[in-house]
Amino acid sequence: MSNTTVKQKRTALKVAKSSKTLNVSSGVFRVNQSITKTINPSISGKSFSSASDSKVLDKSLAQTPKHTVQVFDEHGQDVTPHPLYNPDPGVLQPKQGKIFPAHDTSWTTVTDFPSVAFQTTNASFTGPFTKSFFGSVSASRTSQTTESVTDETKDLLVKPDLSSSLSDVQARREEVKEQVREDIIDRVVDSYLTETETIWLLDIPAVSVSEDSEDAEAVKERNKYVERSMQTFNDAPKTKEVQSDSITMVDKAVMSSTWDMYDSFCNKGDASENIVVSAEGKKATVPDSSSMNHLLNPSGPDQSMSVFSTTSTVSGSSAHLEKMTCVLPVEEEPDLELILQSDKFKQDLAVMERVVLANIFQPKLAAYRQLPVIEDPDCVQTQIEEESWTEQSKNSLSPFLEHLWVFKCELTKGRNVSSMTWNKKNPDLLAVGYGQLDFKDQKPGLVCCWSLKNPTWPDRIFHCESGVTALDFSACNANQLAVGMYDGTIAIYNVQTTEQTPIIDSSDCANMHACPVWQLRWVDHDTGLAGEDKGEMLISVSGDGRISKWIHYKGLECVDLMKLKSPNMIVNNQRWNPKILSLAPGLCFDFHPNDSKVYLAGTEEGHIHKCSYSYNEQFLETYKAHTGPVYKVTWSPFCPDIFLSCSSDWTIYLWRQDLSKPVLGFTSGQKVVFDIMWSPHCATVFGAVREGKVEIWDLRVSSLDPTIVSVTNPGVNPTALLFTPETDCVLVGDSEGQVTVYKLKNLPAGDSTQVEALEDVIRTTLSSKHTLGKTDRDA
Amino acid sequence: MAEVEETIKRIQSQKGVQGIIIVNAEGIPIKSTLDNSSTVQYAGNVHQLLLKARGMVRDIDPQNDLTFLRVRSKKNEIMIAPDKDYFLIVIQNPTE
Repeated sequence: MSNTTVKQKRTALKVAKSSKTLNVSSGVFRVNQSITKTINPSISGKSFSSASDSKVLDKSLAQTPKHTVQVFDEHGQDVTPHPLYNPDPGVLQPKQGKIFPAHDTSWTTVTDFPSVAFQTTNASFTGPFTKSFFGSVSASRTSQTTESVTDETKDLLVKPDLSSSLSDVQARREEVKEQVREDIIDRVVDSYLTETETIWLLDIPAVSVSEDSEDAEAVKERNKYVERSMQTFNDAPKTKEVQSDSITMVDKAVMSSTWDMYDSFCNKGDASENIVVSAEGKKATVPDSSSMNHLLNPSGPDQSMSVFSTTSTVSGSSAHLEKMTCVLPVEEEPDLELILQSDKFKQDLAVMERVVLANIFQPKLAAYRQLPVIEDPDCVQTQIEEESWTEQSKNSLSPFLEHLWVFKCELTKGRNVSSMTWNKKNPDLLAVGYGQLDFKDQKPGLVCCWSLKNPTWPDRIFHCESGVTALDFSACNANQLAVGMYDGTIAIYNVQTTEQTPIIDSSDCANMHACPVWQLRWVDHDTGLAGEDKGEMLISVSGDGRISKWIHYKGLECVDLMKLKSPNMIVNNQRWNPKILSLAPGLCFDFHPNDSKVYLAGTEEGHIHKCSYSYNEQFLETYKAHTGPVYKVTWSPFCPDIFLSCSSDWTIYLWRQDLSKPVLGFTSGQKVVFDIMWSPHCATVFGAVREGKVEIWDLRVSSLDPTIVSVTNPGVNPTALLFTPETDCVLVGDSEGQVTVYKLKNLPAGDSTQVEALEDVIRTTLSSKHTLGKTDRDA
Repeated sequence: MAEVEETIKRIQSQKGVQGIIIVNAEGIPIKSTLDNSSTVQYAGNVHQLLLKARGMVRDIDPQNDLTFLRVRSKKNEIMIAPDKDYFLIVIQNPTE
């Protein structure tokens, strides 16, 4: 143990207070804290001992060569132990300045070394005790010595370097020792030690924070997820056995489609049986099981229960089917009956019938509806058909009636068609009344409602007690059909049902007609009438000379609108005193299309009376021209002043309201005219039905001859005529119970309704009459 | 009941109608105007076709349902009116 410890002044501490170096040193401090802890006591002891011997070290560079410890043995050999550690002298030299051997006690000058940055270790420390003497020496005896204990350790990092450099420097020093010792020994050399910049050698940032530091809380918070491990005690395992029945596993798969899921969802509220059945899920069996369930249910609860139980087993579906099949033979009979009697089946049958017929009648219906006729590509046209087709096409220029189809069936055979009318709401529905028009061979009448979609069988059939003579559909309630009969009864039927009984019958009314009701009309009095007269009313004309209005109020009640009194008759130049007021039988009437107060009535005497609704005493005007009963009188739908009348005196007259004489008369042949009707499309066209002929007149073409004449089969008389409101077809009813549908072909078409044309015709006729002085046209 | 019978007769008597078959829900024909072998053939095949057609219609929109099916072929037309409990088949050759 060397006793020549030289302590260095502790000013190094002060200088080292710069932040950079402090870090280093403090780092050093910490690192070596543990190491030095054990050393400290020894160092302190030593330091204190050496403190007594403290000497000031002069740190001049040029200072004395070190006074190395040299050990000589008894033979004078230098057995100085070599240092264990030989640092690189070139690196450390500028930092440290000279390293002074401990022996240089000759330098006792105590100078301030503010620039002392480092402390050096004693050369003597380079002995075998190097390690233990890492403490630095303090020159002064001040209280700094106490600090030396703690501060010694700070320089531990430097120490090894110092000690390592010691030996090298020593070697050099020894060389120059002899030379310079003499001249430099008295020289005071100032050595300045400056701080170099910090050289980072190693930086391991700390990853732990002391609990007392201010960052502790923040760090704790950041460390939310802490990995912790625990060790559990694993007890010794023990085997335990249990025996049970084998659990059978069955795979079940269901293929569920969109509608299957929808059905199951909708059926959730139903009975549980249905749910179980429908939840089976097998598509093929779903309709079966549900239907069988439906059919089995009435047969008894036990059967349905068995269905339930079979379906609840997992493998039940196949058993379910088996059960079904074995049940089937028993159930087959009621099955058929049930189906056949169900309403749905009837409906389906009706639809099917129409579909089949549509296939058959497709070209005709297309022609009717003015649609292009598409030929069936698979159809093989026979020779005959082609011939007839070409024939017709040859005559394509002249107008003609194309026969489309015939409404006829078994029921209507042999009956006389007395009236036809279209339904106001459904343009495909046609009501036809069958009844004899003359008083002999009267038979029970028939009303058939035909649909265009089924020309072979009527949709509704109503049997009536006596022959039907008049028909009309109501416009307000489109399902009500008023039927006038030969015995004077008026009945109103509801065509929505197939019931045979009418809604109401006039047979209870005291005022009912005593003679056949020749015409019925639902008239809509919505223009300018007060109170109860608004709305639709049923008006009839009958053979007892009365025009009555019928009200539906607890039964049909009638009010007379007009009594068709026959005017004074001049017989043999004597005035026939009409003390006995006779009423002329009325055969027809027609309300004005625009003014519903005014109407025309035709009588059996050949007079046409213009009457007013509100005035039932007298006629407004009388038109006399016909010599026979007037069968029909119709206002023109386009010209408000023009009307047509036809009678059994073979004539048709065209009248103008203000003229008491007819403007035009039409006749062709000496045949009774049964029915006439204006065309709803063209103002100059009207149709007429004569005995044996159907005529279509077009006044633009000619007013002398009908434009189209269609001769019917001999023995068959057309008795009724009806134009179709929408298409250019005409229906003709005949005395054989057939209603034929014709299409008007090649009639000159016009853009407008040709009202002007009609008026022109009339004007020219009138003017020609005047100019030529003709008073009347012969019938 | 008589009305139904009459309607069936009327359909049968229309021009070109080759046969009418009424089949119950399982595909077993219960009434037919054709011979047995054709009936069974038609019934079986139409049943399958109906399932497919109905499945298709309902897959697209489950609230929809098949109401009528027509199959037009070279030689004839097969019209099928399906229902929950039965279906009705009519075979017609309209150009006959």
